[in-house]
Amino acid sequence: MSSQPCHRSGSRLRISLVILLLLWSLAPMLWQLYSSLRTPESLLAGLAGLGGGWTLINYTAVLQANPPFWRYLLNSSVVGALSTLLTLALAIPCAYSLSRRGGLLKVVVGGGLLAAAVFPYVLLFLALLQVARQLGLANNLLALCLPYAGLSLPLAVLLLQAAFADMPVELEENAILERFTLWQRLRWILLPLMAPSVVSTGLLVFLFSWNEFPIALTWLSRSELQTLAPAMARIAGSSVFTVPFGPFAAATVLGSLPLLALLLIFQRQIVAGLTQGAIKG
Amino acid sequence: MSILLMAPALLLLLAVFLWPIVHYAWLSLQAQSVFTGLKPVPVGLANWERLLGDGRFWQDAVQTLRFALVSVGLELLLGLAIALLLHQSWRGRGLVRSLTLLPWALPTTVMALGWRWILNDPNGPINGFLELLGLPSLPFLASTQLAWLAVVLADTWKTTPFVALLLLAGMQMIPADLYEAFALEGGRPMQGLLRITLPLLRPYIFIALVFRLAQALGVFDLVTVLTGGGPASSTESLALYAYLNAMRFLDFGYSATLMLGTFVLLLAAALALVLAQRWRRASA
Repeated sequence: MSSQPCHRSGSRLRISLVILLLLWSLAPMLWQLYSSLRTPESLLAGLAGLGGGWTLINYTAVLQANPPFWRYLLNSSVVGALSTLLTLALAIPCAYSLSRRGGLLKVVVGGGLLAAAVFPYVLLFLALLQVARQLGLANNLLALCLPYAGLSLPLAVLLLQAAFADMPVELEENAILERFTLWQRLRWILLPLMAPSVVSTGLLVFLFSWNEFPIALTWLSRSELQTLAPAMARIAGSSVFTVPFGPFAAATVLGSLPLLALLLIFQRQIVAGLTQGAIKG
Repeated sequence: MSILLMAPALLLLLAVFLWPIVHYAWLSLQAQSVFTGLKPVPVGLANWERLLGDGRFWQDAVQTLRFALVSVGLELLLGLAIALLLHQSWRGRGLVRSLTLLPWALPTTVMALGWRWILNDPNGPINGFLELLGLPSLPFLASTQLAWLAVVLADTWKTTPFVALLLLAGMQMIPADLYEAFALEGGRPMQGLLRITLPLLRPYIFIALVFRLAQALGVFDLVTVLTGGGPASSTESLALYAYLNAMRFLDFGYSATLMLGTFVLLLAAALALVLAQRWRRASA
């Protein structure tokens, strides 16, 4: 911003603060990475065992377990992708018509969405589980998309509604004069212009579905169907490994890598979605 | 026409959010447990009477509230500091911002498992460090005094990035010429923080507070994996207690009562927050 001399000491302070911040954010993950590559003996030796003892044994243990770890990653990805598509398919028309009307309905629906977006959804798990059992949806991986879409809708509709409201009205009026149908207006005019908001919304829904725990835990009892979050809890509770921390750490690293990649690729969109959600909603 | 476009989403929303509450209201008036052969039997207000006299429920309520207030308070302070740091312009800021977001993006159960190993007694790195300093190792997850602080630490680590991002977004909405004018009049940067940043940031702080308090009062994933509610239920949250009643004790009637009871406490907290906000505004 400026080149005043007092900024030199300021920037030194800033560098140390940034290093502190990175340490705080990343040290726990780096420790997991380090632990995942260590032999059981060197893990038990504590900090004294810093030398020697590197191994990939923890990764082979986790990947050769039954079911292998990549299975959970695959399950989470499938559920995450389908939930995202379903949520967007339901949220886009809803957000569109909400943004195009005023009056009592808009106030009521908007307020309800806001309350639902903040509600700690874990309290809903028992009723949802009973419905799932009655409809025969328990132990059905793809059925998880239904509650996930339902739980993601409040935030998704609020975000997309704000994006629709930002579109100039003349744009759509011209398209109506050109006899575009509603579907054509959405597909060829509005949605392409709103692509950034749609992508941010989709990413937040994907992250939620990927990370969701209580519903996946109670709906899926067969281990080969489990998604990542309940699988981690099961690994934590199991005593399959004698010194479990190496395999635990390997599982943590493998479970974090896809999200690290997603975050580095889409950081701008994720940040935009997060902040828009809070500000406009 | 527009109702038709909204209908599918609204139906799913009602099914997922409203129906459970209605169902709990009914189920809380039934006994449905192993003693009734898992069949619902009407029992009037018996579940609610049990809840009022259930020491574990009230203990969990206090523990959950303590956890929520302490961790959200820490997250706001730390989040503000991080937002101030990220608000200045320097090279590499974007990369640092996305790296600090990593704890927030990871599944809670994944990082909870990580913290279990970091806090392990005596083999975890923190105790290893204490040992290097010649200090005795601390049973972070086995002591009733320390375990809830371990939960606070793990939660603060995970959710501070979210708070920091919100506050950062708020700071970027404040026009820079406000600060320039303030500096021209001889104001010092620290005073600028108190006189300009914090007052204008108030709506964002409020949003972060509401979001985080609601999530923290429903804490489940973290406690389940990090401590399992132990030792001696000292870290058990309301949601975990309701979960245990349903899935371990198979007492569905009482579990539903606990969920609804927690919901009522949440409403009370929300009402208190809104009233406090009103009162502030009226007195300002």
